[in-house]
Amino acid sequence: MAVQLRNQDDILRKLEGLHTIETAMIALGLKRQSTLNLLCKLKKQQYVITSGGGKRKRLYRISQLKQRPRDPGMFDIINKYSPHMKVAEWYDHQVHGVYGPEEALIDAIETESFRLILASLRLFKHIKNWKKLYKLANEHGCWNKVGALYDVARLFFKVTRIPSRYYHIITDKWVQLSQLRKLNFPDIAQKWHVFIPFNINDIREV
Amino acid sequence: MITSNDQRVLFIAIGKQLRKNIRCIAFGGTAMMYYGYKDETKDIDLLFENEPDRAEFIRVIETMGFSEGSPFKIYIDEKLRDPHRPLMYMREDARFDLFVKQIFHTVTSPNMKEDKFARHEFKGTHQLTVDALRKEFIVMLKSVTERDKDFEDILTIIKKDTQFNWQYLIDEVLWQHENGDTWVLMDTIKMLHELRKYMFVEQKYLKMLTGKLGKKQAKKK
Repeated sequence: MAVQLRNQDDILRKLEGLHTIETAMIALGLKRQSTLNLLCKLKKQQYVITSGGGKRKRLYRISQLKQRPRDPGMFDIINKYSPHMKVAEWYDHQVHGVYGPEEALIDAIETESFRLILASLRLFKHIKNWKKLYKLANEHGCWNKVGALYDVARLFFKVTRIPSRYYHIITDKWVQLSQLRKLNFPDIAQKWHVFIPFNINDIREV
Repeated sequence: MITSNDQRVLFIAIGKQLRKNIRCIAFGGTAMMYYGYKDETKDIDLLFENEPDRAEFIRVIETMGFSEGSPFKIYIDEKLRDPHRPLMYMREDARFDLFVKQIFHTVTSPNMKEDKFARHEFKGTHQLTVDALRKEFIVMLKSVTERDKDFEDILTIIKKDTQFNWQYLIDEVLWQHENGDTWVLMDTIKMLHELRKYMFVEQKYLKMLTGKLGKKQAKKK
């Protein structure tokens, strides 16, 4: 028997979460076609995002809040290029304009977050514009950190080669990547004057 | 009214014309649109860190045809007398409320700076960074500003959000009160009393605020 629902807010409250068409039918107490019509209407109003279809089961992610299309930000870029280690975003970061691995790497370093910097090591494979990265890093005063991370990354992953004109230390001052003041990879740390917080076991996660 | 898309296009256009990087905090309807609570807003509320940033923002919006308007009829008299009232810029239906450093008596707390909901960066030659506040801050600030429809917005947020952190709101109100905001305590108590007509709010949260108010009045006596 169809459940009497007062309005759209009630429907959304009842449906909030991940559904297949069958679970949505049960939750609403409606027939298949009526449920599909309703989900289609809600999708037009941006309350539903669909995934799957074809060989996979179609899933409906329903929210009481509108799910607007977004522009990619730092977390999206890092998660896109880091195949194994994904980072949960603690705030919604979106950039409206040009934003690629170069900008994401600098933003990740600026957060001083251990996991984010660790995951961003994978970005070195996708750096195309070293000039841009060098300029951005100098604006933020973090070229030494970029250099140290590059040297660590190339020990374990395939990376794009840095042009020799950029491969030098900018300042002699010792700096930290995160709150940890550890001397892992001593040769690289000494060369770039950067405390590298992660060790080989951490990098295995990436 | 300004829709979510209008707002996006407007910020992109502003970002392209800036002569320096600017960071500001979005609250009110703007932040609510970023959350997805609503589709359109009457005004874009922004808080700037310093006067030169606001001046640069104003320079850009003036080139787009916005002109300064009067805050009378929009805010109550008590708020209009406050030196930290906003500058208002209008163009047809769109309006900017531009605050600097403070929103009336409310200052930016360490939590407000660090605990944001979203960051939107609009890139041109320079960059406009808009941080959207957490919903608890939006509710607190809407209690303080007391304009038309502010209470409706509070009700929308709390009804739609099952994860609303009441303790976080109360802690922030108490922090603001201890740091010189004399209005926030009364305004939030008033809002909570009104809210209890529509939905269930635990008594303990109200008691935390009225207890603080009681102590303050006892001290005065």
